[in-house]
Amino acid sequence: MKTRIIAKLDVKPPYVIKPIHFEGLRKIGLSVDLAKKYYEQGADEVMYIDIVASLYQREILFGEIKKTANELFIPFGVGGGVKTLEDFSKLIYNGADKVAINTYAINENPEIINQAAQIFGNQAVIVNIEAKKWNKYYECYTDCGRVRSGKNVIEWVKEVESRGAGEIFLQCVDNDGRQKGFDIQLSKKVVESVKIPVVIASGAGNLEHIKELIEYSKPSGVAIASLIHYDNFSIKEVKDYLRKNNIEVST
Amino acid sequence: MSHIIGIVNYGVAGNIHSVEKAIKKANGKTLIINTLDQFNQVDKIVLPGVGSFKNAMKQLENIGFLEVLCKNTKPILGICLGMQILSSVGFEYGKTKGLGLIHAEVRPMLIDTKVPHVGFNAIEVTYSNDILIGLEKEEFYFMHSFEVINYTDITSLTKYEGHKFVSSIQKNNIYGVQFHPEKSREAGIKLLKNFIDLEKR
Repeated sequence: MKTRIIAKLDVKPPYVIKPIHFEGLRKIGLSVDLAKKYYEQGADEVMYIDIVASLYQREILFGEIKKTANELFIPFGVGGGVKTLEDFSKLIYNGADKVAINTYAINENPEIINQAAQIFGNQAVIVNIEAKKWNKYYECYTDCGRVRSGKNVIEWVKEVESRGAGEIFLQCVDNDGRQKGFDIQLSKKVVESVKIPVVIASGAGNLEHIKELIEYSKPSGVAIASLIHYDNFSIKEVKDYLRKNNIEVST
Repeated sequence: MSHIIGIVNYGVAGNIHSVEKAIKKANGKTLIINTLDQFNQVDKIVLPGVGSFKNAMKQLENIGFLEVLCKNTKPILGICLGMQILSSVGFEYGKTKGLGLIHAEVRPMLIDTKVPHVGFNAIEVTYSNDILIGLEKEEFYFMHSFEVINYTDITSLTKYEGHKFVSSIQKNNIYGVQFHPEKSREAGIKLLKNFIDLEKR
């Protein structure tokens, strides 16, 4: 299977920002412009995460999402602040193909995963994981990597799979934005723990990091942000490099 | 005649916005079908799909669209779940009767690898038709856990980790694609354009 290359947009609407360790926000540009740019560069998907919606407990800004979706003819995943089945429905209506949920499902009502999968199909339900290492195990965090949930990452991914989630989107709080490489050990463990696709984010600082992750952890997709935000590389360059290294990616 | 493509809106689960903008990008005129009488105003029908087989059929029944779709004689394009429900029966969350426009069943993909099958993948055209013209070498975006089992109306197959499944079908003017043309870059827009241009030539 071809590994998907996904552009991750951490959004504080209307801007894409780039935190380091989920803190210290820097403005990169408008989400509308960046989504279009990465689409044109050959991204397989765009993942839009409103990183402050849960934290500030405010409503999802559907208008910004619709605008961002408008220029895309590739799949568009959206997350951040999702709490109800109506949120799923409205996001899909406004151009999302899949919806990512984290804080609400883990803290309040995991049953929403079952319900959403039954209504929207499991392919439309992504569970976003914010993992942070504690001694020997990894714990799920919520509210943009700020709040501990008490859930073990491996146990939680198995649970959400059995509840009907169609994909895991794994972010690592310790690696995010640092551009020092992915947590390939945790990634491999998560990929091998479930049968559903796993997308790995957090850590791409150079092309070798991506190659190492794909070869070692065998994820279904890799999400990149900082690497492309600062124009160090385009998505096309990432794909060309992987192809040269015998890793299958889409054209 | 102005030639309008109707997009069936069946409640919570349709990604109609994405389909509508892709058809517009392919220079098609669109009408979102929200009420029964709007079927008379369109020349072709697109049945989009995000959701589960069972829920989709329930929604179509609730809004009273089942009969008009079953008896429809206009060209119709089912996308993903929209293709699956063209079948006689589906097995997602129990056994559910489909529209029965194509003699087929919809079953979970029987493979020992990651499911859902998500991502761009190639199609192998087994029977070329008007909507696949010029697209034989293209990749399309797939996002599904179920597959259509059919032996008589296949127009293309796709291989996923050694397993071949039906990626598009056609029976008379009924077309179905398992992939999402609205999410498949220029190749998808071209397929939609081919559908728009059907019988206009």
